[in-house]
Amino acid sequence: MTLASELVLIAVGAAVINNFVLHYFVGICPFIGVSRRVDMAFGMGCAVTFVISVAALLSWTFTFYILRPGAPLTSWAVRSVTGKADATLDLSILNYIVYIFVIASSVQLVEMYVRKFFPRLYKSFGVFLPLITTNCAILFACLEIMKHVSVGAGGGAWGAGGGAAWGLAQAMTLAIAGGLGFTIAIVIMAGIREELDHCDLPEALKGPGITLLIAGILALAFMGFSGVDKTLSGLMGGAQ
Amino acid sequence: MKDSYIGQAWLVLLLALAFGGMLAGVQASLSGRIEENKRRETYDQIPSLVVIRDRRTGKVATRADAAKTVEVVTDQGKVAYHAFSSYGKPVGWVIKGAGQGFADRIELLVGLNDDATKILGMYVLDQKETPALGDKIRGEDFRDRFRDRFTKEPLVARPVVTDASAGNKIQAVVGATISSRSVCDIVNAAVADFKPWLAAYQAKGADERPGGEED
Amino acid sequence: MAQDGPTGLERFINGILPENPVYRQVLGMCPTLAVTGNMKAAMTMSAAVAFVLICANIMTSLIRDLLRPHLRILVFTLTIAAFVTVADRALAAYLPEMSKELGPYVPLIIVNCIIICRCEVCASKQRVLIAASDAMGQSMGFALALASIATIREILGTGAWFGVPVMGTWWPEWGIMVLPPGAFITLGALLGVANWLGTMRSGKAATGEK
Repeated sequence: MTLASELVLIAVGAAVINNFVLHYFVGICPFIGVSRRVDMAFGMGCAVTFVISVAALLSWTFTFYILRPGAPLTSWAVRSVTGKADATLDLSILNYIVYIFVIASSVQLVEMYVRKFFPRLYKSFGVFLPLITTNCAILFACLEIMKHVSVGAGGGAWGAGGGAAWGLAQAMTLAIAGGLGFTIAIVIMAGIREELDHCDLPEALKGPGITLLIAGILALAFMGFSGVDKTLSGLMGGAQ
Repeated sequence: MKDSYIGQAWLVLLLALAFGGMLAGVQASLSGRIEENKRRETYDQIPSLVVIRDRRTGKVATRADAAKTVEVVTDQGKVAYHAFSSYGKPVGWVIKGAGQGFADRIELLVGLNDDATKILGMYVLDQKETPALGDKIRGEDFRDRFRDRFTKEPLVARPVVTDASAGNKIQAVVGATISSRSVCDIVNAAVADFKPWLAAYQAKGADERPGGEED
Repeated sequence: MAQDGPTGLERFINGILPENPVYRQVLGMCPTLAVTGNMKAAMTMSAAVAFVLICANIMTSLIRDLLRPHLRILVFTLTIAAFVTVADRALAAYLPEMSKELGPYVPLIIVNCIIICRCEVCASKQRVLIAASDAMGQSMGFALALASIATIREILGTGAWFGVPVMGTWWPEWGIMVLPPGAFITLGALLGVANWLGTMRSGKAATGEK
């Protein structure tokens, strides 16, 4: 299938069908903590999308060129050092450490950038930006990219679904769409919780309790999107 | 301020080296097992995928036909497993297929007879379909429906199949039509991709064939 | 070194119910929702978290005098990432089925708030033994929380517990419990129950003891 249709499928999949929060359960902590007001929620969503994109860019580059088995830069380095023509080094054991450093650096980068160019925005973000480092959604995006870049190490499949290693376009699409999905979910939740302020909730359920129950109903609603990507890929004439 | 950053960097660097060494040790000791596990997954399934089973009694047709050795043939990244009986007679082929399922990617193995005219079995390696509905494609019931199907027509999954044993119609899992259809699509695509390659492979002489390994 | 705060044993017991990481501190939600579809996965995950938490706490406690404020989080993160890699590879080598089922949630232990929180709050300030018993208490609390959710989801969702059928064939499997909505609703309901029990107990203590 063409690159454009593949990107559309990845984007729709990550943003709506397999929504990061409501399907993959990542990014729950800010989802519960920051979703009390729509403007705060939207700001958090934008910050997460921004950081996820930077982190995905860096981690794809590291994974593709250095870390995966058979990576170009590593192979070149090993071959120059040992002199053997087909020596390879599998650095994928360092994946997680590299990713978490990449994420911490991305958060720092974004923080410096926002502080310099959007000082008012920086003030309103407050303490949220450093907290994004422990946001599961970003590490999850990096892990998904790693999964699709390391493909081909398990014995090739027949038929068109073999799946080539993801390029930068696919990785960035996944990251941005994932961030968008997170934003959608958190803004919907904030809208609902603003209304809940006027309701008479049992004391025990206030806070995380009711948020999770509502998230369950939202997840139920989003389950209705299952199978849309199959139809989409059929419509776009993708060979599967 | 600058002193404390550089001065304390020694701790981070030391830790990085120490952990790097620890991880290298872990990699060296465990990577063999991990590779082995991945291979086992496929190899363990091969005998049950190429056996010709009597539909009524469920028994293997003749003991001599049980797959004993497997020759792995790789060609441009695609892997095919050629199974031989203990007498050295070729029993069938096992190939991997992959594609989009209802929820996420599905990976499966297809067992074929020696000239790929019949599908002998199917095994789902990896799936993330809906639990209790779509993931019934892993069950014995659904797998059995792929035994002894001719490959001259692509397989089609239908919600209700009255005459299950004939032709190319597969009874879909109740409540999981799309998952079942995806499995059929993946099987069809893999077989369609494999048949021309097999024809070319069998046309070549034995010494011209691409590299393989005995197992 | 002077001992401030609770002793090791008190920390151990604290971690199980009074300061339970899931129900009281509301941390580590991601694995709690993701792997509690059945008991086996939940227990494997809590074993992995226990391993990482205990090792990270011991490591942090050993080097606590060398830590400086600016680089401390970096050191925690590096330590945790290294141990999580070990746990992940060990799972892939010895329990490949579980490794496939748990998937990306084992590396996500790196950003699990529980571990970073314990390192920051306890291990970087206390002796090794106290840090270790704190870690063990929190791990037990986490395992208990996961077990409670997984039991409900597995029995209602598949009629089995640890894969052993307990409900009999009359039970219509509530497939929704094994899916995301079931996870959210179960955890939300149980959080509400835990909060309610907590206020009841502190209410009794206020009126009974005082």
